[in-house]
Amino acid sequence: MGIYEIIMDTLVFIFATNPFSPWIRGVLGGLVIGAVFAGALVMVYLERKFLGDMQSRIGPNRVGGRFGLLQLIADAIKLFTKEDIIPAKADKWLFIGAPIVALTSGFLMVAVIPFDYLYINGNYYAVAVSRMDISILYLEAVSGLAIFAIFMAGWGSSSKYAVLAAFRNVAKMIGYEIPMGISIISVAVMAHSLDIVEIVEAQSSIWFIIAQPLGFVVFFIALLADVGRIPFDQTEAEEELVAGWATEYSGMRWGLAFFAEYFHAVVASFMITLIFLGGWNGLPIVGNLYIPGIFWVIAKVIIVMMVFIWIRAALPRYRIDQVIDIGWKVLIPLALLNLVWSTIIGLMWA
Amino acid sequence: MTHEDTQITSPPKPSEILLHLGPQHPLQPGPFVLDLKIEGETIREAELHIGYIHKGMEKVFEDRTYLQILPLTDRICYLASNSNNDVYCRGVEELLGIEPTDRAMYLRVLTNELCRLQSHLLGIGEFTTDVGFLTMFIYMVREREGIVSLLEAITGSRLNHNYARFGGVANDLPPGYKEMALKILGDVKKQIKSHDAMMSSDSIYCRRTKGVGVLTAKEASELGVAGPPLRATGVEYDLRRMEPYLVYDDLDFKVITQTEGDVFARVKVRFLEMLESIYIIEQCLDQMPSGPYKQDVTPYITRPKPGEVYSRIEDPRGEMGMYIISDGSDKPYRFRIRGPAFATSQALPPLLLGGYVADVAAIAASMDSCTSEVDR
Repeated sequence: MGIYEIIMDTLVFIFATNPFSPWIRGVLGGLVIGAVFAGALVMVYLERKFLGDMQSRIGPNRVGGRFGLLQLIADAIKLFTKEDIIPAKADKWLFIGAPIVALTSGFLMVAVIPFDYLYINGNYYAVAVSRMDISILYLEAVSGLAIFAIFMAGWGSSSKYAVLAAFRNVAKMIGYEIPMGISIISVAVMAHSLDIVEIVEAQSSIWFIIAQPLGFVVFFIALLADVGRIPFDQTEAEEELVAGWATEYSGMRWGLAFFAEYFHAVVASFMITLIFLGGWNGLPIVGNLYIPGIFWVIAKVIIVMMVFIWIRAALPRYRIDQVIDIGWKVLIPLALLNLVWSTIIGLMWA
Repeated sequence: MTHEDTQITSPPKPSEILLHLGPQHPLQPGPFVLDLKIEGETIREAELHIGYIHKGMEKVFEDRTYLQILPLTDRICYLASNSNNDVYCRGVEELLGIEPTDRAMYLRVLTNELCRLQSHLLGIGEFTTDVGFLTMFIYMVREREGIVSLLEAITGSRLNHNYARFGGVANDLPPGYKEMALKILGDVKKQIKSHDAMMSSDSIYCRRTKGVGVLTAKEASELGVAGPPLRATGVEYDLRRMEPYLVYDDLDFKVITQTEGDVFARVKVRFLEMLESIYIIEQCLDQMPSGPYKQDVTPYITRPKPGEVYSRIEDPRGEMGMYIISDGSDKPYRFRIRGPAFATSQALPPLLLGGYVADVAAIAASMDSCTSEVDR
């Protein structure tokens, strides 16, 4: 038994003996949010270095050694010490609230994300802050909160660029939450459960990316649009809308908004990993060597992040009307087709 | 069609917003204001305001001696500094009644084409950032680096080269230049072809650019647009062919045209023109005659006989002309510049009508205007 299992054993022991203690849940929640927070930092760093490699430039290379490891800390210090400007005509509470809501919706999503599924003393325990029967619906619902944040920011900033970005975002989300929801339902149909842990366990023999590739493609594109990355970053298209909904933000408020985006991107990577890439189910390439499930989860999350960055390096940006066309005319029919497919296969599987 | 046709006269309706784009905005190469009346994302009316960095260059030139004007012509537009030097020098040479030496003519063609190459590379690069394709911008700047180093090896500076002189050029080629140039140009040619193929085959890029901002040949000629935007409409108008200056008569090259007149065609023209420029440079290096690179006697104080001259050149951006009137003194009596970017800027508002806000970036960047030259 390795150190990892001892730690997990202790955690799970405390968790299992005292399942309703808010303190235990609070501590675990803090740990998990910290882990995803660290994931977002890793993503920012990867975005700079990996994107730099693909664009034949170096990326950060001064602060913290030649790999620029402390660049993020330097940025954070800069953002914290900058003047906090609230525009005179802004709706103050909406303006202040928007980055908080954006980050909060990310935090809420983390609550149901399982990192591993441990078998200890004859029982299975999911390493998650909260295990719900309908966790995937919860995830979908909470991720929708981020739209409010962008709309609050857009409306509260009293800037035309921000308002345009907020309009774009709402239009985009209406078109893309639907195919995303339908492809999640397809997965749930195949796994016979709305619980993410059950969904991952259902992939122990075959991952859903192989069982329903169409669903994966639809889900991936919809998720890209959801987190607003190129080619779907119309809400912060620099050359059109300056910085989109974050135009009027400065200092740490802008930092929070920026960080919330990366937080959402990391949670999106987790969603893809868990729902389509088999979560903690490893590849059968390493024989009898025991590799903890959390390793697989993190490795897959990092690969998904790198794919996000790769897409950013390789593609230009769609125009907003084209984005909405794709959502309604391509993704929704494909998602419905995939629902039919997964229902048939799911019934045969059962 | 005139500038008055695209003025915003009425206040916006309740369903419309007046978007005041500029004078500082990420899509702009320099300060100008684009007032857009938009309904949702659709542009209903557009109006362009220029003059934020007006420098009064033409008036300044009337107060400088002919030699003092020469370095200032670089500053009209730093991306076309060689062309500007050349067109000015040819004007003054005509007034003085002298001719540059053969070798100087080849050197000027060589630097003009290098100048066109680096201008097009940066122009396409800026365009790609405006459609959200940052990677291609960095690739373009990487390719441009080689071209700029070639210019630096001849002229001694990376920007504002100030290379042409009355009756010649400032200095000769450095030793070993031909080998170095052929190597760098070979690499750049390969990369340009690969970037062109990559962009033309990208479905998102094609959807963003094909059929967007269509300029017809008639509109283009009414608005005085020349250069790549005009050739993209199918008009085979290139001063290098229509009115061959320097040694373009002896060189073999194609005039690149496309027929669509949209954003895609304009960028495609630039891509193909770069390949032609490389071909011209290769010919120049092969055919370069030996001999002096400048006239033996160049007067220190230039006093042309009274008279007037209009010299023009195919600039990277279009047709650049300079009209000089001499009254026999050492300073021009009247100086007038006809810039290509002014005409392409003028064509911008009509192209935007009916388009989307997102198209502003693509169309403006595909016209490859230069505010520094518009507000000269």
